Amino acid sequence: MNWHQIWEVASAPDNVPIVALLFLVPFYVWYAFRQALANDRLIDKLSADPALAKTEHRKTEPWNPKWEREVHTWPYLMRVELVAAVLVTALLMVWSITLSAPLEEPSNPNVTMNPAKAPWYFLGLQEMLVYFDPWIAGVIMPTLIIVGLMVVPYIDANPLGNGYYTYKQRKFAIWTFLFGFIGLWVLMIVIGTFIRGPGWMWFWPGQTWDAQRVEFAVNRNVDQIFGINGSWIVHFMPAANASYAPILARIIFGIFPLALYFIVAGYLVHRMLLLTDFSKKIFKRMTLLQMMTMELFLILMLSLPVKILLRLLLRIKYVWVTPWFSI
Amino acid sequence: MPEQLPPDDPVTSRPMAGLVLISVFVLMLTVSWSLYDEFYGLRPWRKYQAEFSSAYSNYLDKEYKQRRADEQKFYATPQYLKLLADVKAATDAARAKDQEIGQQIDLLDRQRAAMTDSFTTSRGLVGSLTYQLEQISEKDKSGKESKLKELNDAKAQTFDVAWPVEGGKIEQDKFNYDKLNGLFVSIMQAKAKLVAQRGDVDQPAKNAQDKLNEYVKEQLPGLASKDLFSLSQSMKSLDIHIRQINVNPTGTSLNNLGGAGLVDRCQSCHLGTDPLVVPVTMTLTKADLGLAKNNDAPFTSHPDPDMMKYHPLEKFGCSPCHGGNGRALDTVEKGHGRYEHWLWPLYYKENFNAGCQQCHASDMVTEHAPVLNRAKTLYREKGCIGCHRFQGFDNQDEELVSARQAITQLDNQKQDDRLQIAQLNKKGDTAPDNEAANRYYTEATNLTVTMSGMDAKIEQLDRRSANLLREIKKVGPDLKEVRMKIHKEWIPNWLKHTHEWRPTTKMPQFRLQDDEIQAISAYIWNSAIAGPELPKQMPGNAANGKVLFEERGCEACHSIGEGPNMVGGDFAANLSRVGEKDNYDYLVRWILNPRTRTRPYSPFEHKDLGPEDYAKHNLPFVFDLDHSRSPNDGHEMIVQQMTVMPSLRLTVEDARDIASYLETQKHADASFPAADFMDNPSPETMQHGKELIQHYGCAGCHEISGLEDEGRIGTELTNEGSKPIERLDFALLTEDAKLGVQPDGKKSPRGEWYDLKGFFDTKLSDPAIFDRGKYKPDPMDRLRMPKPNVTKDDIDALTTFLLGSTDPTLPQEYMYKPADQRAAIQKGWWLVTKYNCIGCHQIGIGQRSVLMGLPQFQAENKQNLPPVLTSEGARVSPDWLKAFLANPALSTTDVNRNGVRSYLQVRMPTFFLSDDEIRTLVSFFQAMSSQPQPYIPQKIEPITTAEKEMARDLFTSTAAPCLKCHATGDPGHDKSAIAPNFLFAKERLQPGWTERWITNPALIAPGTAMPSGLFKRDGDRWVFSGPVPSSFKGYAGDHANLLVRYMFELTPEEQRALMGRTPSGGGSGGAGK
Repeated sequence: MNWHQIWEVASAPDNVPIVALLFLVPFYVWYAFRQALANDRLIDKLSADPALAKTEHRKTEPWNPKWEREVHTWPYLMRVELVAAVLVTALLMVWSITLSAPLEEPSNPNVTMNPAKAPWYFLGLQEMLVYFDPWIAGVIMPTLIIVGLMVVPYIDANPLGNGYYTYKQRKFAIWTFLFGFIGLWVLMIVIGTFIRGPGWMWFWPGQTWDAQRVEFAVNRNVDQIFGINGSWIVHFMPAANASYAPILARIIFGIFPLALYFIVAGYLVHRMLLLTDFSKKIFKRMTLLQMMTMELFLILMLSLPVKILLRLLLRIKYVWVTPWFSI
Repeated sequence: MPEQLPPDDPVTSRPMAGLVLISVFVLMLTVSWSLYDEFYGLRPWRKYQAEFSSAYSNYLDKEYKQRRADEQKFYATPQYLKLLADVKAATDAARAKDQEIGQQIDLLDRQRAAMTDSFTTSRGLVGSLTYQLEQISEKDKSGKESKLKELNDAKAQTFDVAWPVEGGKIEQDKFNYDKLNGLFVSIMQAKAKLVAQRGDVDQPAKNAQDKLNEYVKEQLPGLASKDLFSLSQSMKSLDIHIRQINVNPTGTSLNNLGGAGLVDRCQSCHLGTDPLVVPVTMTLTKADLGLAKNNDAPFTSHPDPDMMKYHPLEKFGCSPCHGGNGRALDTVEKGHGRYEHWLWPLYYKENFNAGCQQCHASDMVTEHAPVLNRAKTLYREKGCIGCHRFQGFDNQDEELVSARQAITQLDNQKQDDRLQIAQLNKKGDTAPDNEAANRYYTEATNLTVTMSGMDAKIEQLDRRSANLLREIKKVGPDLKEVRMKIHKEWIPNWLKHTHEWRPTTKMPQFRLQDDEIQAISAYIWNSAIAGPELPKQMPGNAANGKVLFEERGCEACHSIGEGPNMVGGDFAANLSRVGEKDNYDYLVRWILNPRTRTRPYSPFEHKDLGPEDYAKHNLPFVFDLDHSRSPNDGHEMIVQQMTVMPSLRLTVEDARDIASYLETQKHADASFPAADFMDNPSPETMQHGKELIQHYGCAGCHEISGLEDEGRIGTELTNEGSKPIERLDFALLTEDAKLGVQPDGKKSPRGEWYDLKGFFDTKLSDPAIFDRGKYKPDPMDRLRMPKPNVTKDDIDALTTFLLGSTDPTLPQEYMYKPADQRAAIQKGWWLVTKYNCIGCHQIGIGQRSVLMGLPQFQAENKQNLPPVLTSEGARVSPDWLKAFLANPALSTTDVNRNGVRSYLQVRMPTFFLSDDEIRTLVSFFQAMSSQPQPYIPQKIEPITTAEKEMARDLFTSTAAPCLKCHATGDPGHDKSAIAPNFLFAKERLQPGWTERWITNPALIAPGTAMPSGLFKRDGDRWVFSGPVPSSFKGYAGDHANLLVRYMFELTPEEQRALMGRTPSGGGSGGAGK
């Protein structure tokens, strides 16, 4: 095991945010859940005794009647924020003193660095390039992420859980977020930093990043697996255009697995939305457009891990191959 | 429900003062930390400067005290006091006159001051009115007249002046413009005259003072105590700041830093290298500062002050030569550039000459760079050049190709011109009028003249190609002739045990398997030419051969004896075991003339020609430098062996003796395993052998049948030092290199070696190391580079050479490519080292030849050494030198001798130099002695009859028996001669040098047998210092000059006549005085 290798990656000044991320993300997830569960318990208590809800402060701490119903922002909130600001400033100063930003050598167009990595916050996008063609991974997917985040307020039909932590009232939203942010975005950043070595090959922690490493891997398109060569379609085509037959056949063929995915994933997503009584209630509040939009984005979000699994487990390169783009 | 309620709301009642206090405290702490870091943490040079300030001022104080004591003592010496008294006396003598003149000057100054106001006012007014007058148009007569009147009035206007006169009185006076102007001019003239007078009056005092100063400087060199004191004072209050050198060559980039140029801040820590801190006349060592030797404080002055003269700091800075990041000051590692991202790290101590190579790549020999010079010699002599091309390094083969291309181009051009001429003539014939026709005809005529010029060019290119064909040499011996030369069984043994069999050999050890060795041996043996048969030689006298071997100078290049008993040079092979491998008959032929070839090679026909080719054309089978064209097609052929070894012009008897001696050089138990596989090998084996030879690039160093046109197989190394590290294949050692683990498993002393130096060092010590762990079942896939026969020092030198061989990042004008005489010197060194002239001769001042170190040339036998050539260009006429280099015997018949110094046993060999090489060498010697080119001989005044008689007397006087040592051509006399014949002087020597030589030969060649002090200085002439012959009475001319003039007119008859007058050879002559 080459621990020197993993140490070198982890100790690089560029990677400080990612190492911090490894600890901070789980901590804050835990911390948010702790508060959310405490709130849930309070909600249970208050909903069991509606009279209590009129006098309670909706605080998770045991209640005292002498307490004010509201407190001022200044100084009670501001002083906490002041302490936080001071400590963060101190942290940033210590960070900047101890770790200097590395200025690297002048670029040489004849020798590119290996591995060439994007800044840490874009490593997720770079990792996506492994599974999709650049059009999809670099343009379509990022656009979908942004648009998807923008539509959230418009498709959110759940009136509960605003302004306080709760798990019980927003299970669906929380799981979707955890899946999208931690499961896809953060995970891919971690993979891009610690796992991807020279040649963008997969190196487990403890493996040496050897630039000489040679790996045998053949990725095939689905149509190749099925041996689609257009021999059947050529009979329906003018002889002059016979050479386009394989391309046309591939285009036509690719639509089928894609359609299959949409049907299956759509069914599953729909089933998920109707999983509990609570979610059924919410579903009834949604318009058709809201429902369609939400399901479409969920299907598209799900396609990313599906494609990753197809690539890593079944060595499938593309499902749908066209001369213009491939999926 | 909890039982006990908290009394207060925790949000409002929880105290936060402690938390705020702590966090503010933390913030203050980090702020102070960042301030400390800003002023000290990031500026380690502050500490260095403070340390230096105290250490250096202590040293200066000590020096000051010492110096002051010395000065006090010195000021009391009578010589100093006398000079001081002289100064005082001279000053006193001039004082009265000096003061008088001073008073006069003072009066003039006061007068000028008195009139200055009035004069400037008047001059201003007149000047302005004159300008206005000139501006009035000629037509406006009345306007002009009135202005003229105004001007004249202004000129007539008078000014009151308080005019000082002699005696300190002041007279009131009135001056107008003209008067003022006249006075001003006369005052200035008078003052200039007086100042000159005062200079004359003070001259003796000034002279005395100069004499005193010079004496002080002579007796007490170095900084005076007052200088030391002020330096020490300034060091005590040293201003601590960043010290930087700015070099901004226009429009260039240094170290790829861009247009900003070069900024080196090295002196911020290395204060001792700043000439303002340590004056150039001083040196500062660690011991001076009281620092231990292993203290790494960077305070000493530059160790080579001489170098700084040629490379002034303000032009070169530090990092262009030494490497490193001149701008960085944070840490030592950053400043030295020894971190991952700086591509030009500081050169390690053993490689610091690499900095020289960047600009001195065109030099074969660079002064002050011994390591680099050693590397270049190794690169050539170890045959690196056989595989690895290096721009400008022994590239005659490439030059030949380009010369041939140029010829083809010119031929094409001529063809085009011919067509154009025809067209022009045709146009002229059909032109409408005479003028147009003439224009066409003239153009056509001009073109024909241009074409004839091209013919001259082609002729020169042709000659150059022929020369180049002669100049191409191979590092290793010719393998076409192995059948005649070598015992068959020796070959496979040699390939297997190269370095064991001859530990000093140039040949690298190849990684060959037994079957490969067999195939290669078989190919070489069976492709070699078989005949014509060599003549059988009689055995010689080995004892005499040993004497000849030592006397003739073979050991200038060859060594003999093994291990600690090895004697001689390392330029050519060690001959200790030659007897085990060489055939006697071949050896005799080789020693007689190593350039003798069995068959000429025609590069055009790609084959060795034999008697049969000559017979076809009814020609005798004769080929040499005069018969170098192919009988088949007239193309130039290679008619000599491609070795640098020259012919020593020995007799066949001498050659047999030496060969017999060499045949005795063998181990008693020498025997080699039988090699029957070399006889009648299968065609497959032959083919395999040929492929292997091509694969391993053997033809880079050896001439091999069928592989004459092989190119160099290795990487070009011209810019190897600029190669990105990613392009160097560390293979499976990459991780070890990054972790600083050496191939032998030990920790590398300098840590990580994943850099150019690490690669070169490792590759040179074992080129196969980067195959370690690789799976390469086919031996042809393995790394080809053989293991060179080099020591640790050699590897350091070669690494230095490669590290410095960069794609130049420095501006072009920094490259050492002189356009003046130094170009001839630069070019000449390539040849001087190619033929190892320095094995026998001293050419550069301070350089020692190999022969000078041999036991047979010590003590009184030093006179048997070949001549010192440090002043050769000034000594001999270049015309003579050309002839001598072409034929050092200076005779076509009597060749078993030296042309000039026939008494020397060491033989000046015949190198069969090409015309271009002779030209280069002559230019080299001329330039080394600052002789202008082309050469125009000095005129000598003809000698009169009376002078001739005087010269004869001097020549034969007992005090100067010249002919006792100088050869005369009389065999009886010449046996004891140790100096050249005077008859050569006229053609050979330059009179100026000859005169300098006879008046003081020891200045030119220290230790020469020629006596110094034959002449002494008398006024502005040289006179003979022995008893002067009576005929010289009343002669006012220069004796040395007389002798030289006589020498240059000497005839053989005259010399014979002199012989009769010479006092007997054994007499008590003055030569030894």
